[in-house]
Amino acid sequence: MFGVKVELRRQPSNTGSGHPAASEVGRPAVSEVGRPVASGTGRPAMSVVVIVYNDEARLSTAVRSVLEQTLRSVEVVIVDDHSTDGSYEVAGRLAAEHPDRVRAYRLPENSGGCGAPRNHGIQRTRGEYVLFLDSDDVLERNACRNMLEAAESTGADLVSGLCVRVHVDTRTRKEVKWYPWLYARTRTLDSVSELPDLLVYDTLSTNKCYRRDFLVEGGLKFPVGIHYEDLFFSAQAYAAARRITLIPNRVYDWNVVESSEAKSISNRRAEIANFAHRMEIHRRVDRLLADQDMAALKFHKDIKFLKHDLVLHLRDLPFRDAAYRREFAELARAYLASIDPAAYDEVEPIHAICAYLLRVSDWENLLPAVDTLTNRDKVSAPLVERDGRIYWCDGHLDGTGEEGEFARRVLDVTELGYHARPVEKLFLRNELTQYEEETARGGVRLAGRVTNPLGVIPPEARLTAELDFYARRPGVRFQTFRAPVTAVRHDGPYITWQATADISKILRPLGIVDAVWDVRLQLDVDGKRTTSRLTAAEPGLATGELLVRPRLTRLVADRVEPLISARGHLSFRLVPGKKANAVVTRGLQGAPGRLAKSGYRKAKALRKKATSGATKIRLYHEVFQRMPVHRRLVVFESHLGRQYSDSPRAIYEEMRRQGLDFEAVWSYTGRPDGFPADVTLVRRWSLPYLRALARAEFWIDNQSYPLKLTKRPGTTYLQTWHGSALKRMGFDEPGWKLKTRAEQAEQQRTLDRFDHFLIRSEHDVRTLAKAFRLHEKTLLRLGYPRNDALAQARQATERPPLAAELGIPADKKVLLYAPTFRHHGGRRFALPFDVERFAEEFGDEYVLLVRAHYLNHVVLPPSVRGRVIDVSAHHDVTPVLALADALITDYSSVMFDYALLDRPMLFFAYDYEEYVHEGRGTYFDLLERAPGPVVRTEDELRSVLRASSLEDQTVKYAAARERFVADFGEYDKGTAARRIVDEFFAEWRQQ
Amino acid sequence: MSGQRDTGQRHVGQRDIFLVANSVDELGGVTSWTHHMARLLTERGHRVHVIGITTPEDPHDLGELPYPTTRLYDGQPPGPGRARDAGMRERAARLTRLCGAARPGGVVIVTQVWAMEWVKHADTTGLTVIGMSHESFETSRRSSRFRRVLTYYRDVDRMLVLTREDADLWIGEGLNNASYLPNAVPWLPEVPSPRTEKAVISIGRLSDEKGVDMLLDTWSEVAPRHPDWVLKVYGSGEDEEILRKQCASLGLDDSVRWMGRTSDVPAALRGGSVFALSSRGEGFPLALMEAMAMGVPCVAFDCAPGVHEIVRDGEDGLLVTPGNTGELARKLDLLLTDKSSRDRMGDTARENIRRYGTEEIVGRWEELFTFLER
Repeated sequence: MFGVKVELRRQPSNTGSGHPAASEVGRPAVSEVGRPVASGTGRPAMSVVVIVYNDEARLSTAVRSVLEQTLRSVEVVIVDDHSTDGSYEVAGRLAAEHPDRVRAYRLPENSGGCGAPRNHGIQRTRGEYVLFLDSDDVLERNACRNMLEAAESTGADLVSGLCVRVHVDTRTRKEVKWYPWLYARTRTLDSVSELPDLLVYDTLSTNKCYRRDFLVEGGLKFPVGIHYEDLFFSAQAYAAARRITLIPNRVYDWNVVESSEAKSISNRRAEIANFAHRMEIHRRVDRLLADQDMAALKFHKDIKFLKHDLVLHLRDLPFRDAAYRREFAELARAYLASIDPAAYDEVEPIHAICAYLLRVSDWENLLPAVDTLTNRDKVSAPLVERDGRIYWCDGHLDGTGEEGEFARRVLDVTELGYHARPVEKLFLRNELTQYEEETARGGVRLAGRVTNPLGVIPPEARLTAELDFYARRPGVRFQTFRAPVTAVRHDGPYITWQATADISKILRPLGIVDAVWDVRLQLDVDGKRTTSRLTAAEPGLATGELLVRPRLTRLVADRVEPLISARGHLSFRLVPGKKANAVVTRGLQGAPGRLAKSGYRKAKALRKKATSGATKIRLYHEVFQRMPVHRRLVVFESHLGRQYSDSPRAIYEEMRRQGLDFEAVWSYTGRPDGFPADVTLVRRWSLPYLRALARAEFWIDNQSYPLKLTKRPGTTYLQTWHGSALKRMGFDEPGWKLKTRAEQAEQQRTLDRFDHFLIRSEHDVRTLAKAFRLHEKTLLRLGYPRNDALAQARQATERPPLAAELGIPADKKVLLYAPTFRHHGGRRFALPFDVERFAEEFGDEYVLLVRAHYLNHVVLPPSVRGRVIDVSAHHDVTPVLALADALITDYSSVMFDYALLDRPMLFFAYDYEEYVHEGRGTYFDLLERAPGPVVRTEDELRSVLRASSLEDQTVKYAAARERFVADFGEYDKGTAARRIVDEFFAEWRQQ
Repeated sequence: MSGQRDTGQRHVGQRDIFLVANSVDELGGVTSWTHHMARLLTERGHRVHVIGITTPEDPHDLGELPYPTTRLYDGQPPGPGRARDAGMRERAARLTRLCGAARPGGVVIVTQVWAMEWVKHADTTGLTVIGMSHESFETSRRSSRFRRVLTYYRDVDRMLVLTREDADLWIGEGLNNASYLPNAVPWLPEVPSPRTEKAVISIGRLSDEKGVDMLLDTWSEVAPRHPDWVLKVYGSGEDEEILRKQCASLGLDDSVRWMGRTSDVPAALRGGSVFALSSRGEGFPLALMEAMAMGVPCVAFDCAPGVHEIVRDGEDGLLVTPGNTGELARKLDLLLTDKSSRDRMGDTARENIRRYGTEEIVGRWEELFTFLER
């Protein structure tokens, strides 16, 4: 709700007094206090124009912030917009106190805006540079000096600095920086075209300093008689400036006072009027850009309009009535027509979808879409699959020509991956359709419908549901109250439900501290639970009051009323109303309340400390490690607990197979799905985990246990590691090398915890062992237990059962694409080739398995279903490797393991140079030693697959593969797990 | 802190300038800088006074100085705590007396934040106070100086670091008075290095910070490819023994020469054709500027804004991601293999480094003094 107020707050409250604006300069009626301007000498470096309207209390603070600037050569020009309070008298007094530095002017009549007084102020300034300050804000004390230094050193017409919004009525005076990414560093632009986002986002006029001659000679003025004058003025100044310098310094404190009054209906009229003004200003700016030959900037402005300006108003729609919606849509549609369709491709899908649905007046789909706009991870539309793609809704898809193509492009949400998410991971829209009070029983009858996108809730699913009521403040959420849901069933594209909640009976708040209660529907689909919130799509649906009995006291409140949250969800609020409430509130805000609250905060901080990492580490060392070693206790962990996989798993399974007598503890992170049932599962970093680690006889892990935990001598740490190295590791990595000697010693201590380290080949000795500075005696040249299965599969003739599980037909060959981890683009990993085209071309011959690195995540379109399969979620990669008839990788260490199968390998090294040089470097040149073709582009990849069959490849690279295995996997003989058991656990065999 | 005194007077000419450092006579980069600056300002006619807080046990002989010096303590001040606090005001009173005698337009330049702890107790009314940090933001951030810079320099008239980039980072931490001024190259020799000796030069203290261990790792990749080249390591320091051991274990004893400390840097640079800088952290490295002034092309870890401020990658030297010894080796290999790029980069370096000539830099200081009076 930020932006709407942003530009509105500068409006004096008596907008539109009907008088013509007093923008004319030199009119005799302008009053003036201050020493007459001496001509010639002593021109100040800066003039600050301070405008004021009915703000006598704060004006002197603003002016003082100018007079106390570190730069002394600054004058103040106060322009009073004909205030009705004592503002002008205050201004006059300031001018009298500082006759050389302050002058005050008063417009003959109120102008109703900021434009006229600022324009007047510009005329009155004498400085080389001009700044604007509002009477309720302040300048940072170095602002003028920093801006002057920047302006003079670069010769800029305009210098802009960081503005900070200070929420003055919050306890901590919360500060929010205004578009800080524009001000991360000092930079100078020869034209705003170099940084369109500046014009598009930072539309304030007040955090800037302007060369006075630049303003006067260019005739730059604020528009008068229209709101959002800053938007136009700043656009005008940006476009005209020959040079702009941005400085990271905080220059301007924008003091924000949150208005707690709810917007009334009469405000709605003003809101529509404001929106009309906003659209008009946008049109003027667009015209200005066109006139200045800066049409390219309009494109960036369009993008911002779609993802910012429009969104601010769209979010309000569910709370507005039909008349408002109609008027708003009309104004918005007129402007949307001027938006470049290509801008839709530059914004998030939901922004484009909302703008599109508004444009075509599809209200039925627009209001749910707005729900997703507000609640970003919510799925609010039924979605539809067509031609292998997923669309937001099924309307508009059949259009012809450009318009139809545009609609399909905008409504395509395949990339969002909704179709790949199970029901328990979906946050579904749940529209409240009925809210009826049943006064007699102190309850409400509720009904609603849950969106069922792509039929993710199948018709035959067993459905049950309940409503949960819980306090909004997490600190006081002691209890959840439940109400049963009757009649939950399929109804067309929805799941409908009904419930009668006896609020008066079930809801028992404490009172005062837990005034707001949220509601959610827990829907159980064949044992999978999906949680949704109740969305009131129309205003006025939920009203009335219900009696409740707070546990603390009924003096403050004994009723609740429905309240729709800013996110559009139904909640209940204790109705304050009784006189007693005023007393309690006074108590809360007075000394005893403050004391109680600070005590509560201290207690909270204490609790936080008690569960902090540092406390846990102390507990581990000072308590758990002093307990005796627990014989035959083995703690297993794979990839920091993310998986049940790799060599720790292979060792564990071998131990079970041999029926050893031991106690197994597996650590997990996130969800324990996929871990075996017959072990003790402990969450990583939980107290049971720490206790198990402290007391275990063996640690078996492939990456690292928490670095801060020391290992006692009675525990043996078997570090299996998780792959041979192509890229530099450990102390061969730049990041480790850069550590100071003390940090390196600290790191070494964590590595010295390893008692045994598994080695697959002498290459590992030269790389990993050296990089971790391990002693020769810790090295176990036994090979990787996880690879036993691969060494054995080499001889296998039958396909493993995984093929059937994945539904791979017998006549198709299996290709596996397993790239290494990529940083860019966050968790989402974009495949470096067109997967649809790949499926199209090779789908008849191959099934392509895609395995993203466990830290990455990939989305496949439904069009490739059955031909391309995402196997990233499988805990263990080994069965996938064993299944694949050929491997495509880049630099992933699976190449070393897969080579054991003696099957074709392809290296798709599309960014080799970047990976090798800009990254951390490699131990050897893959291009020289790859046991298969290395391709650099998508086209090359396709042509290799087209040109030669897998059989050809098998033959052609046989010698190279043999060499590769000899070099990198000589100890992987298929017996590693057994030999480890022989070596360490032979005594645990049961007689 | 700054002028309530009559500023109507203009001081185009000479000023009273106090340079306050941790010490007047210890060995170290900032102290050398202080005396270099004091000399330059004196030559411009300013009345300079160098003030040190502490006197080291083994003071460095400064010879005859053209300006007066003052030491607040005869030895070390007491460690932080009540004892130090008690004496601080008394010592600061000496500063106050010196400042009080200054004419209008006087300037106090505090070259290290530790010294500021005393200066803040002195009355500097009427004088412009400038606080300096001679290291990169990142190096400060990793040390206890970070908090102290934020605390003690908050209200000085200008806080100066060495590059725009570092200043922006300090501003990002809320130090709104931060700006920058680079160091001057101490000399621009008439005759450059002939670049005939097949030697890579490194000059710096043998300490962890200077990263000679990483240079040795690098050299172990380069040396086998260039058996006719040697690495000359100038400098001494606490890590010498560890480094020599590392050198031996890498089998580099034949191609690495331990040259010890040198006071004749130009001579050292005349004996080589490439300069290598492998530091973990830097400010505005003098060694790079000196090498460039001698026409010796540099290969450097880009470990601070000051480094890429001085070296233009590919034009007058080569930069490498810090810590990436493989890349450092590759870039050294490029230069060692190709004499023509050595010559081209070396000549360009000598030309480019002129922008940090003393005239230029002292002029910027004087402009700053004037600007801060406006």
